[in-house]
Amino acid sequence: MDYSRTLRNNNKIYSRTSSRQHDLQCCADFNIRFVLSGNEGYNIGRRQLTIHPDSFLILNKGTQYASSVLSSDPARTFSINFDKQFLTDFKDCWLHKHDTLLNRQGHSQKMEDEFNETIYPFRGDIKYNVLHLKNHLDNGTQDEMLINEYLHHCLINYYKIYNDEIFEKAEKLNFLNSSTRVEILRRLNMAKEYLYSNYNKNISLEELAEHACLSVNHLLRTFKQAFNSTPHQFLTQLRLQRAQMLLKTTLYPITEVVSMVGFECPSSFIRLFRTHYKITPLKYRQIA
Amino acid sequence: MRLKYVPVYSGNFEEQLKFYTDKLGFKIIDNIPFYEDAECTLLETGSYDVLLAISKHNLHTSFKSCIILNTDDCLNDHHVLKASGVDFCKEPQYQPIGLVAEFADPSGNRFLLLEERNYNE
Repeated sequence: MDYSRTLRNNNKIYSRTSSRQHDLQCCADFNIRFVLSGNEGYNIGRRQLTIHPDSFLILNKGTQYASSVLSSDPARTFSINFDKQFLTDFKDCWLHKHDTLLNRQGHSQKMEDEFNETIYPFRGDIKYNVLHLKNHLDNGTQDEMLINEYLHHCLINYYKIYNDEIFEKAEKLNFLNSSTRVEILRRLNMAKEYLYSNYNKNISLEELAEHACLSVNHLLRTFKQAFNSTPHQFLTQLRLQRAQMLLKTTLYPITEVVSMVGFECPSSFIRLFRTHYKITPLKYRQIA
Repeated sequence: MRLKYVPVYSGNFEEQLKFYTDKLGFKIIDNIPFYEDAECTLLETGSYDVLLAISKHNLHTSFKSCIILNTDDCLNDHHVLKASGVDFCKEPQYQPIGLVAEFADPSGNRFLLLEERNYNE
């Protein structure tokens, strides 16, 4: 269902079904972007990102980007623009109560200014809250207090994810200087977003390292430290997760699914799937 | 065997009944005499077949209890209940089981509003 809502406090919500390409745009506000089905590509500077239903993107105010739909079917997208004042009020009231969450060794200042523009996993609380919110809007709710309550909670969820994905992981890195840790993590997230966006292609370690502006050795060592898995393990996990989604929501034959998510050989896919989920892909599809 | 009635402590019966029916939207199903001259009011809290039982005589409980109400959308129900005048002592908070808010009835029984969430998907 297509609509856009501008609330009295200037928060904006867009729900779109789109198969078009959009020209270069500039973000007027901090915004969070979800793709509920299909997938959407973003060009931000030299980075090319793809958003799937299992992940979301955040963009800061002033970021220039161009978006386009990459899937054969139109993409259903949902995005929320947060008004500057709403964000400021949120930080004032909520973060002061929960300052233990983010006040780690002077990181908070950086946090205040700008978020790390990258792809984050779309699951857990933020997913529940966004889907509830969408459900209310689809049903035409006019209650702005309720809508803002959800938006407030989306921010709580986002801060939690940000904390888990950036600070918790940065602390695992073996560098003395905390700003070095955050910088390395920023680059590791660029490697991660490259995997998220190109998961179905053949990715060489050299390409990955180049995208993250790290040497291959450095990338391998720090990736493992921060995320507890090698880039290869992370990629395999991501492919399995997306294969699972395709098995559940589409009718593509298994061999097709295998090549769609970037595995080369069906038998090794089936073996991996079975080891991982303790069920074969075919059985999984039958019960899903 | 199955769970059927949950007795709830009642301080001021009339006030409590009004709170349950007007604010929480529970429905009175029946008044049954449990013992002679001791009537119990049975209330339905949703589509479940477990009923709350309150009585002027506090037949089966002399303690305040804690009752967990299940919801599909905690933020929405919290918003609706708050608008109808329910005071929450705990705003919706994230717990390992899901999203939980808490309020008390006029007799001091605690009610949790719980939306269970699956975090292992």
